[in-house]
Amino acid sequence: MALLTLDSVSVAYGSQTILKDLKLDVEKGQLLSLLGPSGCGKTTTLRLIAGFMEAQQGTFRFAGEDYTRRPVNKRNFGIVFQSYALFPHLSVFDNVAFGLRMRKLKDSDIKTRVGRILEVVSLGGFEKRFPKELSGGQRQRVAIARALVIEPDLLLFDEPLSNLDANLRSGMRVEIRRIQQELGITTLYVSHDQEECFSISDRVAVMNKGLIEQIDRPETIFKYPATEFVARFIGFHNFVNFAERAESDGVITLRAGDRLFAAVGNPGTNHPSALKGAIRPDDLVVTAGSEAGPARVGSLPGIVKVSTYLGRSYQYVVETALGPFTANQEMEKPFYSGQSVTLQFPPDKLVLVD
Amino acid sequence: MKKSVLYGLLLPGLLFLGIFMVVPIVLTIGSTFYRGGSLTLSGYAHFFEDSYFNQILLTTVGISLITTLLCVALGFPTAYYISRKKARSKGILLAIAIFPLLTSPIVRSFSWMIILGRKGLINDVIVGLGLAEKPLDILYTPTAIVIGLTHLFLPIMIISLVGVLENIDTDLVQAAQSLGASRLSAFARIVFPLALPGLVIGAVIVFVGSLTAYTTPALLGGKQRVISTFLYQNAMTLNDWFLASVIAVIMIAITFIVVGLMNRATHQFNPKG
Ligand SMILES: Nc1ncnc2c1ncn2[C@@H]1O[C@H](COP(=O)(O)OP(=O)(O)OP(=O)(O)O)[C@@H](O)[C@H]1O
Ligand SMILES: [Mg+2]
Repeated sequence: MALLTLDSVSVAYGSQTILKDLKLDVEKGQLLSLLGPSGCGKTTTLRLIAGFMEAQQGTFRFAGEDYTRRPVNKRNFGIVFQSYALFPHLSVFDNVAFGLRMRKLKDSDIKTRVGRILEVVSLGGFEKRFPKELSGGQRQRVAIARALVIEPDLLLFDEPLSNLDANLRSGMRVEIRRIQQELGITTLYVSHDQEECFSISDRVAVMNKGLIEQIDRPETIFKYPATEFVARFIGFHNFVNFAERAESDGVITLRAGDRLFAAVGNPGTNHPSALKGAIRPDDLVVTAGSEAGPARVGSLPGIVKVSTYLGRSYQYVVETALGPFTANQEMEKPFYSGQSVTLQFPPDKLVLVD
Repeated sequence: MKKSVLYGLLLPGLLFLGIFMVVPIVLTIGSTFYRGGSLTLSGYAHFFEDSYFNQILLTTVGISLITTLLCVALGFPTAYYISRKKARSKGILLAIAIFPLLTSPIVRSFSWMIILGRKGLINDVIVGLGLAEKPLDILYTPTAIVIGLTHLFLPIMIISLVGVLENIDTDLVQAAQSLGASRLSAFARIVFPLALPGLVIGAVIVFVGSLTAYTTPALLGGKQRVISTFLYQNAMTLNDWFLASVIAVIMIAITFIVVGLMNRATHQFNPKG
């Protein structure tokens, strides 16, 4: 059974409903991240689980107990805030020791545990500093240490890396993953950065307007987004509306206009009736000239409208009978605007979404 | 701009303060140690030996302390409430809280005379409810002075507390709660220490203001003298400018001691505040 279960939870601010009928399961020891655009309700979900907000409907169960109305300070969850929320008037030691003091531990125990956890986040020797005297990355690690030292049953992160520069960000997310796996703490991680979510999560839940559109392993979401929203969010810029589909020998054949396409289909979740195809700009292959002879499956002639230099590759906007498509291609000599080209849709890259 | 020009801009202000404040204070302090052509401490010795003077001094300090405590006790919850409101309602609530500051202390004192007098509102209610047989003597007592001063200074305490409280991120309180703190202990360990600078500034203003207030004690205190009314009496009615100067110096000294103590206290609580 899942350690954490949100069962049809609804949350509203005043009359505005933010989360509708939300369902979520998290297994023990897993890191699940909530990914979604700004305002989709990630923080709200986290605050609900933390206990800062109450659900209007539904229940929140944790370790078999009903936590829906349990007060914040009786939950034993560690929270790392986006703002870090370090206590400015307390030293690093006192910040980290705060939760242990609340638990009335002996001073000597507090000292060893704070010392140990500061080693884990590589901040040994910083005990006497105050938050003001630390860099952003160090503050972040104090915040993590403060949440970890109470040996929480659940760890909650709200965009913990958004205030750090790019280098520090990738370093810290490796660090967070390492600590999380080392201590085996069940973790919920909120971010709107897909690379961050994919790199550290066991599972990713993609949210849209207060609903979870898809929960899967990062690889699955990356390759086989279940819905158009998820596909768009993770970089599938091209969509095709098909008129009909037929399936044989594991290959799905689709028709749009007078063109035929092939797709392998998602091995996990099948979309038996989905008629919308999605493909990434990187996966479209552009070849020069329009094809001669009968139309081949998975190819589409068009004319280059815009050509942009991206550094490693060129990006083309190609106008076709099925609308415009965006394709990225690495090449020495780019196609020019107005040139006739043919787009190829590899069957294993064309994904069907709801 | 050049440094020298910037210093030049300071000059008018410094001259004004120097001529109209520092010089008179120094002269006043000097004059209290000089009598009959020789240096002496007799002015102070005389003051502290006289039990009537001592009583006035103690009463004044006592009234100021109680007023300060009352302002803290009443002001803190109000300020905390206001500081947690959204910008719009915060503005309205602050305006209401500050409103009394816009009326003159004389008008307010007269209102209190009507409310606190033997035939006033409070006594009417108390006698009417049968809580006491005869009207209580509230007006013209130290209690009346404390009530008047608290009313006078509460807005200042609230403003100075709202100033610090609204800058305390709610995340801090939530972080404390998530680490196991109850609402009360999150308040005591996080909000209160972080609000101390504003609390101290408010308390100093209220205390010093109460110590030096004239109108309110003069109108509500009846025969009860406080330092400032006593000073006025000596200077204007008895024409004893020497004693008046001694009293003034004692007031200045108390003010400095209080400000110093308060600062020390904040530093101890809040080493990095
Ligand atoms: N205190 C509040 N009062 C009213 N509405 C709120 C409040 N806080 C958030 N909302 C609304 O709830 C919705 C979800 O907000 P939430 O903070 O959960 O978004 P988010 O997914 O965390 O976004 P972001 O990535 O920008 O942090 C938003 O539409 C927001 O406007
Ligand atoms: Mg958020």
